[in-house]
Amino acid sequence: MNLPKAKGEESTMEKLIYLYGIIPSAATSQPLPRLKGLDGESDLFSLSFDEIDAVVCELDPEAYGEKELEKKTNDAKWLHKYAFHHHEVLMKLYENYPIIPMKFCTIYTSYESLKSTIDQHKQHMMELLENIADKEEWILKIYCEADKVKERVAGYNETVESKKEEIAAMSPGRQYLEKRKLDQLIDQEAEKEKQAFSEKIHEDLASLSIDTEVKKNWNKDVTGRSDEMCWNSVYLLEKSVVESFLSAIKKKQKEWEDAGWHMEVTGPWPSYHFAKIS
Amino acid sequence: MSQRSEFNNKDVGLIDILDVVLDKGVALKGDLIISIAGIDLVYLDLRVLIASVETLIESNKETAAKLSSKQLDREKEELDRVINQS
Repeated sequence: MNLPKAKGEESTMEKLIYLYGIIPSAATSQPLPRLKGLDGESDLFSLSFDEIDAVVCELDPEAYGEKELEKKTNDAKWLHKYAFHHHEVLMKLYENYPIIPMKFCTIYTSYESLKSTIDQHKQHMMELLENIADKEEWILKIYCEADKVKERVAGYNETVESKKEEIAAMSPGRQYLEKRKLDQLIDQEAEKEKQAFSEKIHEDLASLSIDTEVKKNWNKDVTGRSDEMCWNSVYLLEKSVVESFLSAIKKKQKEWEDAGWHMEVTGPWPSYHFAKIS
Repeated sequence: MSQRSEFNNKDVGLIDILDVVLDKGVALKGDLIISIAGIDLVYLDLRVLIASVETLIESNKETAAKLSSKQLDREKEELDRVINQS
C-alpha cells in the first residue's frame, strides 16, 4: 500500500484517521470529553471544518492497515471489544452534542482524504445535524414464546379448524399423513400470526414516528434468549413525543406479556439509522 | 417517574450494539473498505463464538438434537408402516 509520507517526517508513514462522528462546531465550545481512541493509547480529538467538526483518533497504519484490520475484524472477540468501544465513545459524545454517528471502522488514509470527503457532503451534514437535534432514535424488538403462539393457532385458527374436520372424516392411514401435514400448516399459520401481530404493533408506533425502518431478526444463537425474536425495528421520534411513545409501548407490554409476547425497547441511540448521507 | 428514565439505556446488550454499529447502512464511506464489507460473514463468526461460549446451553442442545433425531427415526418408521398398509 502506498501511503503518502508526512511532511518533515520522511521515515514515518502518515497516521490513519478513524472517524467516530460529525458534530456542529458551535457545540465544541463545550470541550470534548477526555477519551482514548481505538488503540487505547491515542486521545480523541476534533478536526474543524468550519461549521462542523469531525471527532477522530489517529491509528498506526502498520497495525491498522487494511489487511491487519480485516484480520482483526474477523476475530469475533476483537470485534466485540471494539464495537463496544465505538459505541461507548459515541454515547459519550451523544450526551453532549447532536452527532452524525459513523459505522464501526470508518477510516481514512489521510487528513486530505477525510477533508475531501467532508467538503463534498458538508452542506448535507449541516442540514442533517440541524434536523436530528430535536429528535431521538429508539429501537423495538419483539420476542415471542413460539410454543404459546403455536398452541393458540392450533386451538383457534379457522384454517386449522377446517383442516381438522376434514381429517376426522378420513381413513386411519390417510389421517396419519394428513396430521403431519396439519402440523406444517400450524407452523405456517404461527409464522403468519407472529408477522401480523408485530406489524400491528409497528403500525401503532409508526403513527407516532417521523420515520421508521424494519431491521432483520436475529436467531437464538445470537440473542442467547429462549424466546424467539420476531420483530426488530427502529423509530425516529420528535423529543416531545418520546414520553407518549414509551407509554404506548409500556401499555402494550403489559397487555401482551401473558400471551407470550415480549417487547423490548432501547434508546435513545445516536442517529445510526436516520442520519444518512448521499 | 418519567417513562424516559425508566427505559433510558436500560438492558442494552451486545446484540443491540452490534445490531446498530455494524448495520449495512453506512453514513459515510471510509477509505479502508474492509469496513466490514463481508458483514454477513462477520455475523456468522459471531454466531459461532457466542454459541461456543455458552457451553452449557450448547450441551443441552446436543442432547435435545439427539433426542429429536431419534424421535424422527421412529416417526419415519411409523410413516413407512402406514404407507405400506394403505
